[in-house]
Amino acid sequence: MADLTLEIVTPERRVATLQADEVRAPGVLGGFGIRKDHTPFMSQLQSGRLTVVDGAREVHYAIGGGFLQVADNKVMVLADSAEEREEIDVERAKRAFAEATERLRSLAEGDENHPVEAARVRRATARLEVAGR
Amino acid sequence: MPSLRDIRRRISSVKSTQQITKAMKMVAAAKLRRAQEAITKARPYATLLEQSLTRVAARAGTEESAAHPLLASRPVKRVELVVITSDRGLAGGFNSNVVRRAQRFLTENADKYEEITLSTIGKKGRDSLKARKVALRKDYTGVHAKLSFDKAHEIAGELSARFLSGEVDAVFLLFNEFKNAIAQVVRLKQFLPVETGPAEATASVDFLYEPSRTELLADIVPRHLEVQVFRALLDSAASEHGARMTAMEAATRNADEMIGALSLQYNRARQAYITKELSEIVSGAESLK
Repeated sequence: MADLTLEIVTPERRVATLQADEVRAPGVLGGFGIRKDHTPFMSQLQSGRLTVVDGAREVHYAIGGGFLQVADNKVMVLADSAEEREEIDVERAKRAFAEATERLRSLAEGDENHPVEAARVRRATARLEVAGR
Repeated sequence: MPSLRDIRRRISSVKSTQQITKAMKMVAAAKLRRAQEAITKARPYATLLEQSLTRVAARAGTEESAAHPLLASRPVKRVELVVITSDRGLAGGFNSNVVRRAQRFLTENADKYEEITLSTIGKKGRDSLKARKVALRKDYTGVHAKLSFDKAHEIAGELSARFLSGEVDAVFLLFNEFKNAIAQVVRLKQFLPVETGPAEATASVDFLYEPSRTELLADIVPRHLEVQVFRALLDSAASEHGARMTAMEAATRNADEMIGALSLQYNRARQAYITKELSEIVSGAESLK
């Protein structure tokens, strides 16, 4: 039990250091899970939900991009932002979601701001998902 | 000899100045604590990121010649110096040390490079360099008011863009490095091209990379640069408060000394006045006899 040590850090602070049996993360090529003795691995992450399973307990974090590294049963998540459920400002996320969706709709597919707004939508979605609406 | 009233007035003026310096010292101490905390909090990310960068860059570099355009050094003709100072003064030599170092950089390297451009972060550096008739390319304003990673992101992004477009061949940061509450060291740090440390010996296990090593590196390098700027800004902020605390402490002590000297002078003057009065009365009574 609790075979992995997980560290979540953002540029501004260390968010959490915890023990886990399994970590599920939103990779850019799709979600993936990590368990004991995973091969050394490094992946870019997109905005989404990071789930930490420890025994029967599951903790969720809304993360806004970054990357993850596993080696020797140590998982390091270097995220641009990371919030636990209680820390999320739901009102703000809702507003951000509405605004970004609106702007995204008005932009053409090839517009240079398109990916920026799309990333905003994803970030807000991740927050709302973790907060459970 | 100043009159009694003049001395009294000066004492009260020094006293009120002392009150201000005392208050400023306490404010600086509180802010220093917060700034130090911010440095400590930012450290894990920076350390981990640097490890990852070294690992990925070392391996990528052996395959392709330059692992990433921001890591590629080329003959340096044009350089940019980013001077980080504070928005406020009254912090001892904090700002002037940086400005002096910047000027020394300009004179020392005038022949070495074809062109040196300057940009500033912080009002004090901007103002004193302008007063010395140094041309500035850009002044980043409002960075210190609310220090956030987003600001570092913005600055790092622009500097990288200039490097990639070939407008500059190297970028240096000049700032006060925070040693401890009473010591700051002016530090000149190469920002671009990125220098990566030697690969660690333990990097024998190969990682799996997703999506690919090159793409990961393209993600890590800009982040690393943002962290560099952010750290320099945090260091500068903590140093500023440290320097101000020391300066205000010295000012408070000096005010104490001055009050002491003035009180002595005041008492002497008062004594002399009383003695004079007495001798006048005595001689007046004497003449009536």
